[in-house]
Amino acid sequence: MSGEAYELLAMLMRYVFVALGVVILLRAARQLQKDARAHKKEMKRLPDAGLIGEVVDLDTGKSQPLPREGLMGSGGGCDIRLKRRGVRRRHVLFEFVEGKGLKIKPHFGSKVAMEGVEIKAPAYALHGTNVTLGNAHIRIRLFAGLNVPNPAAFQMDVQPMYGEEEMVYADVPQPFEQVPQAMPVQMPVSRMPWDDAISPDEAVQQPGPQMPGQMAVPALEEEMPEDYVPYASPVVRHRRSERR
Amino acid sequence: MKEKNHKRRRSGPGRAMVSAVMLFFFLAFFLLFLQDFNWQSLALALIVPVIILFGSFGISRLFPADTLLLSLVNFLCALGVLVLYRLSPERGLTQALNYGVGVAAMIGCTLLIRYMPSFRFVNWAFMLGSVALLALPLLIGTERNGANSWITFGGRSFQPSEIVKIALLISMAHMLAKRKVILTMGFAAVCVLVLAVQNDFGTALLYFGTALVLGYAATGSVLLVGAGVGGAGAAVVLGNMIMPERFARAMSRVNVWLDPWQDVQGAGYQIVQGLIAMANGGLWGVGLGAGNATVIPEHYNDFIFAVIVNEFGMIFGLLVVLMYAFIMIRGIMIARNARTLFHALLATGCAAMIALQVFVIIGGNIKLIPLTGITLPFISYGGTSLVSSLCIIGIMQGVAARSEAGVNEDRELAMQGGGLK
Repeated sequence: MSGEAYELLAMLMRYVFVALGVVILLRAARQLQKDARAHKKEMKRLPDAGLIGEVVDLDTGKSQPLPREGLMGSGGGCDIRLKRRGVRRRHVLFEFVEGKGLKIKPHFGSKVAMEGVEIKAPAYALHGTNVTLGNAHIRIRLFAGLNVPNPAAFQMDVQPMYGEEEMVYADVPQPFEQVPQAMPVQMPVSRMPWDDAISPDEAVQQPGPQMPGQMAVPALEEEMPEDYVPYASPVVRHRRSERR
Repeated sequence: MKEKNHKRRRSGPGRAMVSAVMLFFFLAFFLLFLQDFNWQSLALALIVPVIILFGSFGISRLFPADTLLLSLVNFLCALGVLVLYRLSPERGLTQALNYGVGVAAMIGCTLLIRYMPSFRFVNWAFMLGSVALLALPLLIGTERNGANSWITFGGRSFQPSEIVKIALLISMAHMLAKRKVILTMGFAAVCVLVLAVQNDFGTALLYFGTALVLGYAATGSVLLVGAGVGGAGAAVVLGNMIMPERFARAMSRVNVWLDPWQDVQGAGYQIVQGLIAMANGGLWGVGLGAGNATVIPEHYNDFIFAVIVNEFGMIFGLLVVLMYAFIMIRGIMIARNARTLFHALLATGCAAMIALQVFVIIGGNIKLIPLTGITLPFISYGGTSLVSSLCIIGIMQGVAARSEAGVNEDRELAMQGGGLK
């Protein structure tokens, strides 16, 4: 193509290029807007997105949403803001760790206590754990379905999680009394409670009469067969996260 | 089934946008073919749109990706290949190869950020490796355009500072998320100092700006930003007193920026030629292939924006700037939607780095700020620069993919009941 003809064509095409550039940009702008709206809508549908529970201020009764990680303190930039005497601007760093709980780390020697026990090193809080920051008293509440240990089970397994950091576990109160892992107590079944009135000590030692369809239950004092296995429920409760 | 729903929900550019991009490059390469009937141009006119189609829709089917971001980046990369091919076919084809390598690196970065649970154990390695790599040109480096920041290896040369960008972003985001502000700023200061010693002030400015943005984003402290700016000012004054010869080049650039017409044939030649080329292009440009911007020194690298404005016009130049702005906005959106502070800071750092780089080089081209020798992301000629820029986009993609997976998890939890224990 001759130089003049090409120049003419190139000059004509520059408008086409600008027009296409405008189209690309407008479509991109529209897409950005559409995505922002869709995200906003999605967040309205999922108000708990990105949260793992809530922090209840035990002094005021108010609760604040608990994100997966962040800062607690009295400063404006804190994720959990507690404007109280004794609470520093940045008091506590927290982070949710799957399978372990909410890791709470005092920020530069801030005074933090979990269940009344002062912690100097990172510690894990579970559902229902009470935490004291300065003069503020809060309770951690976690969503059901999160992969966290049961407070009762957790209490029995106290060992450092990380090699490099000394972990401290607060004395988490037990929701129920711990049942010792022993042979289940077998109560005798009598025909009528008032027929063979025996003392409770005798009742424990003597096996009751066998009812139709009932399996023979060995008395506690008797020698147990070697292959005896105590009853265990076949229903295993899985957490929601494990089911996934 | 879950994965299918996940894909269906993912937003992406419409067909109109991708069609416009494909048509743009088909017409552009076809126009170049008509200039000299080079069959290579015709082949590119057919291949590039297909690659764009794959890049916009195909990649997102292979791995989790933000397709709008991908489309905008594809456009800018293809524009770079087009302009470089028009200036020098060899450079254009090399850039196309670099683009392929960059896409592979981008996918790698996306998967790394998406699936790496923590950078805790590699952070120190990243930090020490970064400083060592940055300091390497002081020992075995070669000088180019006054900056001793290049390493030649196996016949190919590269800038370690481009690779270190990625490690710097990850390390800074990781440490700031752990509230180790002083350590982060110390690390950034060491990197900036090493670059300043190498006379690579453009990259030093880029690192410094990104560190300040990240520091502010993590702490919200204006005091920290003030201390950073004050510290940098004091370091410049002190450096000028101790090593005046090192800072002479930087000072000469400031003088040229203030009045380039003073030495039109010497130090001010590049800026003056760039300004003339842009003014010559006017609002609509002189037309693709009809410009004469090759007279500008480093026209394929530092001054590629002047070439674009010369041939496509100022309106198109503005559109290119807006595309970078959209990439930055998308980066901020990704950062806002991130589920952890580390990922939010990472996406913020990526967006800030791209935005700062664009501002510094385009600002230098149009004489808004003193000119420093850095590349225009995705467009300028240079393998390391293109690969590192695409890695930054890969990081942003990884954060977006992670956030989306998190939202899917929340959605599933909400469908199953949720609520407090």
